[in-house]
Parts: sequence; structure tokens; C-alpha cells
Amino acid sequence: MRDPLIKRLPRELREELGKYLVIFLFFVMLIGSVSGFIVADSSMIDAYEEGFEKYNIEDGNFELASEADSDLISVLEEKGGIKLYRNYYKEEYTSPFDSKLRVFGARNEVDKVCIMEGSEPAASDEIALDRLYARNHKLEVGGTFRLEEKELKVCGIAALSDYSALYEKTSDMIFDNDKFGVGVMTDEGFASVRDDHIHYSYSWIYNEKPADDIEAKDKSEELVKVLSENAVLVNYIPEYINQAIVFAGNDMGNDKVSFTAFLYITVAVLAFIFAITTESTIQKESGIIGTLRATGYTRGEIIRHYMILPMTVLLVGAVVGNILGYTLLEKYMASMYYDSYSLPTYTVRFSAEALIKTTLVPFAIMFAVNLAALVRKIRLSPLRFIRHDLSRKQRRKAFRLNTRIGIMIRFRLRIIFQNIPNYITVFIGIFLADAILFFGLSFEPMLDSFRESIIDNQIAENIYILKAPAETSAPGAEKAATDSLEISFDGFKAEDVSIYGITDGSRYVSIDSTGDGVYISSAFRDKYSLDKGDSFTMKEKFGSKEYEFKVAGFYEYPSTIAVFTGLDRFNELFGYESGHYNMYLSSSEITDIDDKLIATRITSDDLTKTSRQLVRSLGDITKIFVGFGVVMFVLVIYLLSKIIVEKNARSISMVKILGYTNSEINSLYVHTTTIVTALSLVLTIPLADRLIALIFKIVFKNYSGYFPYKASPVIMLETFIIGAVSYALIALLLNRRVKATPLAEVLKNVE
Amino acid sequence: MFLEISAIKKSFGEGENRTEVLKGIDLSVEKGEICVLLGPSGSGKSTLLNIIGGIDSADSGSITISGDKLEDMNEKALTNYRRKHLGYVFQQYNLIPNLNIKENVEVGAYLSSSPLDTDELLKTLGLYEHRHKLPNQLSGGQQQRTAIGRAIIKNPDLLLCDEPTGALDYKTSKEILSLIGEINSKYGNTVIMVTHNDAIKNMADRVVKLRDGVIRKNYLNEVKISASELDW
Repeated sequence: MRDPLIKRLPRELREELGKYLVIFLFFVMLIGSVSGFIVADSSMIDAYEEGFEKYNIEDGNFELASEADSDLISVLEEKGGIKLYRNYYKEEYTSPFDSKLRVFGARNEVDKVCIMEGSEPAASDEIALDRLYARNHKLEVGGTFRLEEKELKVCGIAALSDYSALYEKTSDMIFDNDKFGVGVMTDEGFASVRDDHIHYSYSWIYNEKPADDIEAKDKSEELVKVLSENAVLVNYIPEYINQAIVFAGNDMGNDKVSFTAFLYITVAVLAFIFAITTESTIQKESGIIGTLRATGYTRGEIIRHYMILPMTVLLVGAVVGNILGYTLLEKYMASMYYDSYSLPTYTVRFSAEALIKTTLVPFAIMFAVNLAALVRKIRLSPLRFIRHDLSRKQRRKAFRLNTRIGIMIRFRLRIIFQNIPNYITVFIGIFLADAILFFGLSFEPMLDSFRESIIDNQIAENIYILKAPAETSAPGAEKAATDSLEISFDGFKAEDVSIYGITDGSRYVSIDSTGDGVYISSAFRDKYSLDKGDSFTMKEKFGSKEYEFKVAGFYEYPSTIAVFTGLDRFNELFGYESGHYNMYLSSSEITDIDDKLIATRITSDDLTKTSRQLVRSLGDITKIFVGFGVVMFVLVIYLLSKIIVEKNARSISMVKILGYTNSEINSLYVHTTTIVTALSLVLTIPLADRLIALIFKIVFKNYSGYFPYKASPVIMLETFIIGAVSYALIALLLNRRVKATPLAEVLKNVE
Repeated sequence: MFLEISAIKKSFGEGENRTEVLKGIDLSVEKGEICVLLGPSGSGKSTLLNIIGGIDSADSGSITISGDKLEDMNEKALTNYRRKHLGYVFQQYNLIPNLNIKENVEVGAYLSSSPLDTDELLKTLGLYEHRHKLPNQLSGGQQQRTAIGRAIIKNPDLLLCDEPTGALDYKTSKEILSLIGEINSKYGNTVIMVTHNDAIKNMADRVVKLRDGVIRKNYLNEVKISASELDW
């Protein structure tokens, strides 16, 4: 015979429709977002990985100081076990867009191009532009723009397979697809662009592909020796460390882990809420349960009955969420990546991973938590249920409260102690919601403040890196030198560190260069937790020579991992002749040095590109975080405080009969939640602050560069206010619920 | 007259399911009286008590207590009425489970500007040594004594008791009834007690017998005996 208890379920659903509906919608939103994300992410990762073969992505590239002749190429290919492809590029400043554009010639063999719109360049004045660069500068197929003296026509919108993330230099902390872009032209077209800023770049493909990154590293270490011995190497980037190639793939993989972890934590919190709700229902229906058990219903049947609704809500939420995930949300999630990365086209594929992560695992979490709570509760004897005696400890003694404390305060304290599990879950829920909210609110202002701090602390308004020494009469210009070394601390990703040699008494960088120590930038200090007197070792990027440094002091320079020392010491350290320099720091623009002699000009735009790109990449998602945080906050507090009011309905009814006014009852049963919420808000906001700071520290271990996490007190206040306003709405609903509790509740049978 | 009940009617349900529970009740109770409402199940005695207590409302008729008309009172005024004038004792005790015995009584005391002394009352009720215990640590009789303590701590004019011994054994029932009698003597509260136990009528000043929503008998006891002498 069919279990007659099933007939109760529709009624139970109707009675608690509001609660189940809110949780259902939350599940749909949560699972839909994560499912959409995983589907989009997995499909794009597949397309990205397939792209390595499809577009024949290089195993690395290097730049030589001058063009290699065919003999040299043969030698390098033979000794290095590689096939070389000419991949020259010219990098020009495009004044209409206030940015740099790197143009390549035709790419028919290696690092092929995915044309997403329009066509490949066919004429010498045509260019296929990177999609994001084109979009950021409002360029469409058929549009034209000037690259130095040449007028170019956009013939296609493209994704360059070796620039899925538009990193200008692989040592950059992040790319900036507004200030830097790439494009391809025909070989004739490429030749027609001026040669002033040509880069003799060669891509290579190993004759025998390395099996993994470890082997790739070994092979690249061998190859760099061959190249260094036979040519003047300017730059060398094996594929596995080329951020322009690997960053998007790594990021998509990491994001998937973060989203999934977030889903699991949220589902666990909701599972606890369900468990507490179910416990409260069991309390309410203990007479029924006792009677059913006494008449022969097994524990399993009772447990199954109380698990059906929460599990069904989750399952239906997961199904609807997945449908939305595969349809609407997938496109939205994909667009977040498409807004950041120059990825090739992809097709949506069924993802077993999405199904497992968004449906099976949450189902298992919900099942385990609810089952554990129910088994623990249902274990009691039928008689205990019939007697409504469900306390775990028989005849539990009340702990004493000082009777000098007013009865209303003691009453509130008793309510808090009675509902400790609810309030712990409220605390955890608020903590998570606050962390999400806090991150969402603090991200953009933090980047803005970081940008301001970079501009305030830049070494000089104009920094010129020279290809060769050149004199200038620009007022305020000061000679300096720069080079870079590689640092690799345990647990941190190896990264480039800029070393600056500064003249004594510099007007731009104030350091004491007399001692044997060096000054490190504030970013260096904060990222690696270095202190005065600490020593650290760095090595040549393309060599094995090591350098030992001792920290003598700090220089406030938040944008770059950098070391500052005196110019003489710098030259001595790197074996340059006295008087060597390759850089100018200047308060005014230098106009009397031939452009050909200037390798790079570093402006505040270069220094602030990280914050700009992060805002562009994550700006939308931070708004989602704020919305999600608020929803989670409201959901957790409302559901748990509603349980408290419902659990105490009989007591509320009794005190009403005694003559307590609604406001007095609210002051007992709702204000306790208010107190706990307020305390939780006050305590969790600094905790959320610490948590995000910790996450930043951990995240930056895997990234080059650094920016300090700092949330202003205003953001803390904003988080508190949003929490308080959200809670005010909940309190209003709770007040209404208290008011609606009938006086006749005490006249009812206990069920 | 302390309590005047006039032509009270009350029905539940609608259409074919409509049941008239009270069919026009007229009753007067003097201050300080113990009035026992007797009747079988469904006679309407608890409904009448709830209407007097302001936790249910009559369809028609009038109730006046110390000159105040209940039917003229809004929710706020009714709350104030219960706060000032009433003490309520139920069959199921309805103590607040997470408060200890003393705190349960203090919940009642909070409502009065001149409550009785809590410790003194707990001693009178024989609960002083149990004052730090939770309700579920006490026997049914002790819990009912706590409920009585909570009701009378504010020294109400009117003590309403709905089957106060319904869940208790014979001996405990007699103890509780004695306690109600003592309180009535000591503080002079008017007591209206609903019961289906016919023997209890002997401790009352006034006996009102209801059946099918109508008062069948309403008389003053000529000989009133103490609760300890009751037998059934």
C-alpha cells in the first residue's frame, strides 16, 4: 500500500509555501548561476585547449636584438631541436585611442588567427583586430583608424590564439585590453608600417613536444642556453609561462574551483537551515511522530517523510537551475569571460561535471546534513515523542541567571540560549553574506584608491627606458638605470623584479644609497612580508647567476615589485661601467631624444592598468556579489528567526493572554534576533575583512605583482547599513508574524 | 455586580456546519465569588470562559466587568484589560519552557505595578526550593501550581481557570483546588472555574450548569465546603 503520509506533503508544502518558494528560488539562482558558469567555463576551456592544436599555438617565442639570417636560424633549429617561425611585430602608439597596438604580419603556420567577424586581411591597408581592443575603441568591420602615418581599414574582428589574454609583457600583473591590443595584417601591409619599433620575434615549435610543464621547463632551460650562446637574446618566453597564452586557461580553471566551493558552502548553510527547520517541525509534531512510531511506523519511514520536501525542493531547484544554466545564464557567464579574454568561438557542450557539481554534490550535502539531524532526533523512543520530551539530556537543568537582572533581559537571554544552534547558523550565514557583500562593495573603491595611490607615489611623471644612451636637455631629467631579476620565494609564483639604480641625491627617489642594503618597494615588502634587515636572493631571468640582497629600508611604491639602490652600486652589481644608464626619470616630457632610441615610455597609464583591467573584468561580477550577499543575508536571517517565532508560538500566545502588548512580545522574541544580528554584523564585518585580506594574500602568491587589500571604514559602514536595512525588513515581517500569532494557540492541542 | 454577562451568543462554522455553542447566556458574578461552570463536553463552558477572558469574542451580547464593556474594547484595550484584571490558568499549564519556575512567575509579576512578593508566593505555593528548575523538571501538580502563581502574582481581580485539574491525579487535583480556595480567601479575587467534575461545585459560591449552550442551572451554594473536603 502507498505510504499514506505522502498525502500530508502537499498540505505541508502549502502551509510553508513562502519558505519553500524563497528557498527554491534561491537554489534556482545559485545552482543556475554555478551551472551556467561551469557549462560556459567548461565549454570555453575545451575550445581553448583544442585551440592549441587547431591554431597551432607556439611552444614559445624569443626576441633577438637584430634580424636572424637563415644560417643562424638553421643553427638554432638544429641545436635547439625546434622549428622556428618568423613572428615579427611592430608596436605603435595609436594616439586616437591613447593606447599601444602590436601588429603582426600574416600568420599562416603558427599562432593562427580565429576570424570571428568579417574576413582575414587581403589588402595592405587592411587589419584584423583583436575583438576586445576593437570593442573598447568602438571599431567595427569597415571602420578605419590611423596607425602612425598609415590609414588602416578594419576588415575583421579576430582572436589571436597566442593572445587570449592581452598581456603586453608576460611579467605584467595583469593585461589591459584598453591600452594594449593586437592585430594582423598581410605581409605587405606589415612591411608598409614604419620599422622604428620592430621586434624581431620568433616563435618556435619543438620537434618533439614536451609531455608536461616539467619537461617543457627542462627543454626551455636547455633552449635558452643554445639561444644565448648563438645570438643576442632580448626576450625569451616559453609557452608555459607566457601569460598571454596560459592566463585565460588558468583563470577559467581557478574560477571554476572558487564558484564550486562557494556553491558547496552555501548549500551546506542552507542544509543546516533545513535541518533546524525540520527539527522544529519534529518538535511541533512530536505527538504525531510518537503515535506513528507506536503504531508500527519505522524510523526510516518517518525520516523519509521529513526528508522528502527539502530534498524535492533542492532537486526541482537544481533541475530548473540547470535548465536556466544551460540556456540563459550560460550566455551571461560566458560574456563575463568574453569581456575579459580574447577567446575564440566555442560551442556549448553538455558538462557531466556541471551535473555532478551543481546537482549531485549539493544533493549529497543536503541529504547527509538532514539525515544526520533527523537520525539523531528520531532515535528517541515513541514514548518520549508522545510526551513531547525531546531534549537530549533528560531533565536538563536550567543554568542560573542573576535575579538582579530584570526579567525581560533574562527572558531574552533565555531565548538566545534556547536557540543557540539557530543563532550560530545565523552568525555563519551573516559571515558568509557579509564576506560576499563586503567584497562586492569594497572592490571598486579599493582599486580606485589603489590607482590614486599609484599616481601619488609614481617615481616620476615620465619614465623613459632607453635602447642606447642618449643625452637630453629636458628640464628635470635625471639619469637612472634599470634591469630585472627573477625572485622565487617558497609557495609563490616566480616573478620579475625591477631593479632601479638611482643617482645620489635624486629628486625623484629618496633613498640612502650609502649602506650595503637596498630599498624595496612597499608592494615588495607587503607581498613577501619582508622586514628591515631581511635578506633575499634573486637570479638572472635567462641565466643562473644569483644575487643576494639585504633590506635597508622601504620606498613607498605600491604598484610594482621593485628594488632601489644607488646607480654606482647598480652598475657594480650588474658589471656595467661607471656612468652607465638606460633610463630617464623626468618631470617634463622628453622630446629631444630620437624615438628609435626609446624602448619604452612608462606613464601613469602603464602603472594603473592593473586596476583598470580588474574593474573592467570584475566590475559586473562585484554587483552580482552585492545582490547575492543581500539575498543570502535576508534568507538566512528570515528563515532562522521565523523558526524561533514559530517554535515559541505557544509561549507568545500565552504571554499575549497574560496581557503583554505586541511591542513587548516583539521586544522579547524579535529583539533577541535583532541583538544577535547586530552583534553578528559588528563581529563578522572585521572577520570578513580579514578573510578577504587572507584570500588576497593567497591569490597573489600565484600572480605576478601585488596590490594591497585595503577596505575603508566607509565600506564597513556601508556593509553594516545594508545589513541593518535588510534586517529591518525582516524584523517587520517577524513583527507581523508575532502579531498574527493567535491567542487561541494555547487552547490548541499540542499538535 | 462585578461581572455582568448578558445574552451572549456564539457559533462556529458556516452554513450547514454552523454550530451554535452559546445560545444566549445571562450571568452575574459578585466580586470575590468562586463561580464554577459545570457541564459536559461541548456544553460551551470553555467558550464562555474564553469570551470572558477576551481571547475569543461573542457574536452578540454584552459582558461588563467593573463597569467596562468588553464589546467596546479594541485589541489594545483588550490587552490592557487582560493585563490589569485577569489571571488565567489552563489545563495544559502553558508555562514558558525555557524559563525557570521563578522566571515564569516573574513574567506575570512584570505586568503589575504592585505585584505580590515572588519569593513569598513561591513559598506559599511550595515551589521555593524548585524555583531554579525548568518546568519539564517538575511534576504536573507543581507545574500547575507555577501556572497559578504566574496568574495570581499580579493579584488580578478575576482568576479564570479552565479545567485546572483536568490533567492531574486525585490527590494533586485536591491540592490545586485547595490552593485556589486559599488564594480566593486570602486575596479576595473572583474565580471562575470551568470543570466537568461535578464534585468541585461544592467548593463554589455559585454553580452554573451549562448544556448545549444554555444555562440549565444557576444557583448560590448554601453550604460551601473547603477543597480538602471534596471527594469524587
